[in-house]
Amino acid sequence: MDFLNTLLIGITAGSIYSLMAISMVLVWRSTRVVNFAQAGMALLSTYFGYEAVTKLGSFWIALPVAMIGGALFAALVEMILIRLLVKHSSSGPIAGVAPIIATLGLLGVIRASASMIWGGQDVRIIGPVSNDGFTINGTTLVFSPLKLLILITVIILMLILSIVFQKTNIGLALRASAYNPEIARLSGIKVDWVRTLGWALAGAAGAVAGMFQTVNGNGTLSPDSIDFSLLLVSGFIAAVIGGLDSLIGAVIGGLVLGLMISFVLMYISSGLFFIAPFVILLTVLFIRPQGIFGAKAARRA
Amino acid sequence: MHKKQKRDIFLFILGGVVLYFISGMVDELRVYQGASIAVYVIAISSIILLTGYSGQVSLGHGALMAVGAYAAAVARIEFNLPIILCFVVAVLASAIGGALLGAAAARLSGPYLAGTTLALAIGLPSLANQFSVLGGEQGLLFDVGFPPLSLGEEFTQYKWFFWIAGLAALISMWVVKNILSSRYGRTWRAIRGNEVAAQLSGINIARSKILAFTISAGIAGLAGALLSMTIGTVSPSAFPLALSFSLLTGAVISGITTLSGAMIGAVVLVAIPEIADVVAHRIGSSEGVTTNLPGFLVSAILIVTVLFVPDGPVEQHRARSAKKLAHKK
Repeated sequence: MDFLNTLLIGITAGSIYSLMAISMVLVWRSTRVVNFAQAGMALLSTYFGYEAVTKLGSFWIALPVAMIGGALFAALVEMILIRLLVKHSSSGPIAGVAPIIATLGLLGVIRASASMIWGGQDVRIIGPVSNDGFTINGTTLVFSPLKLLILITVIILMLILSIVFQKTNIGLALRASAYNPEIARLSGIKVDWVRTLGWALAGAAGAVAGMFQTVNGNGTLSPDSIDFSLLLVSGFIAAVIGGLDSLIGAVIGGLVLGLMISFVLMYISSGLFFIAPFVILLTVLFIRPQGIFGAKAARRA
Repeated sequence: MHKKQKRDIFLFILGGVVLYFISGMVDELRVYQGASIAVYVIAISSIILLTGYSGQVSLGHGALMAVGAYAAAVARIEFNLPIILCFVVAVLASAIGGALLGAAAARLSGPYLAGTTLALAIGLPSLANQFSVLGGEQGLLFDVGFPPLSLGEEFTQYKWFFWIAGLAALISMWVVKNILSSRYGRTWRAIRGNEVAAQLSGINIARSKILAFTISAGIAGLAGALLSMTIGTVSPSAFPLALSFSLLTGAVISGITTLSGAMIGAVVLVAIPEIADVVAHRIGSSEGVTTNLPGFLVSAILIVTVLFVPDGPVEQHRARSAKKLAHKK
């Protein structure tokens, strides 16, 4: 029974990490920036969602509100911060580290601002359904209606995203701009807007991850909560396991990470909460530095 | 000995004498802040060496400082070593940690490395709770002892901290400066400029990168031990993720390739909480704003610097005057 519980917890947590990894990958594909502020943006969107829940009273209205808020904010960040960054800091000794530093700065600004606005007290988001486990033949599982709902929602979102990417013109433009911006521009794609769109999609995906991470945890939301530190690290690690460039890779990376963390905590020690992801990341990078689904050739200079 | 080298030694000694007189004139709080500035100067110089010269990013230097601090405290408590040896132990321990991390880092580039060190910065301090010898959440006491009596009765504890940290800062700046202008410094700059070209001219890329990480970590460890000396204890909460970010901010404000700018970054880092305090009082704001304003300012300054003064104020000024000079000719 322990085994089944661990498995189901791992898959649920993993699906949330997958969403986070997808947003990292979307940003990386559109602007070649690893966005260390992604968890901060997810945090901000979750606060949007919290405001919507308290004002409108329904989780299912709050979720799209958070997604739209997250998408708008991410688009704004791309249009202001990233475009300025490309303009001012794309040469010189700092060029290689400038995007990393700028997004970290953004993370700090978001966290501090959120603490100033909402930090006074812990706020709660009540999930749409109960997080009490299912009972089968008298034994109670950890797996709950809420976790099932999270899994189904994440799967539906991923299906929508893959249809957008594979079947629509917008998806084609996104793929073309990621593959080669220069050629995409020559074939009439407005690459700048496609980049903004990539960020907006990432913001929306991050918002869902933030909302679910909160209700799947203990329901409280705070700017320095462990949940969001974990989201920050695990989104990145899941994306790297998947190879940073591949959306399928991000999904599988998230699930692998969720399962591994869950099993380590269950069968080795629950004190390894933060060290386990680090060890998993190092192991993956030592075996395959380009990630499991990454292109064979490493990107150089 | 070259003329330039003689001049530099003279400048360093002069710096020491000036610091000595200043420490006698200002009040306790300023002396304490002086000690913090000295600690930050050391930590920032380790980032400048690593990021500005060898081109590797580390978001985990806070964790490496923690390694140094814990090593010094354990050496003091368990083995009762003299204080100067504790600092040596701190440097060695964190250098070993840095070498291990560097071996992993040499295989990674840019964002991969940043993310890995970030995961380390979040993960490592929590590991301290796993071992009872490290004192868990409370941490360990780290006591360097009272100042020697020969310095006089009025010589305060904070002044003693300031002397130790100031001297350590002068020495480590001297060492870093010499390393950067040595063969290794040139090798690192070559790698940062163009890795393939550097490899073709016979540089062992991996070894040089690991060396940079090892030296940088050693210096960071010294800074960590000094930091915990001024606080008096070593605990996981003294080395939060925010510390790693602050160091990066300090290095960027200093100018990521300008070692002599380390002072600017260190002063800004120490001044920000003070400025934030004044601002918060002036606008009469709530507690939430007061506690979060310093963090907000650090991050905002980081973004503004990267966007508008990416090479740092010193370098910017130099470039501008060079341009003017060229114009006149």
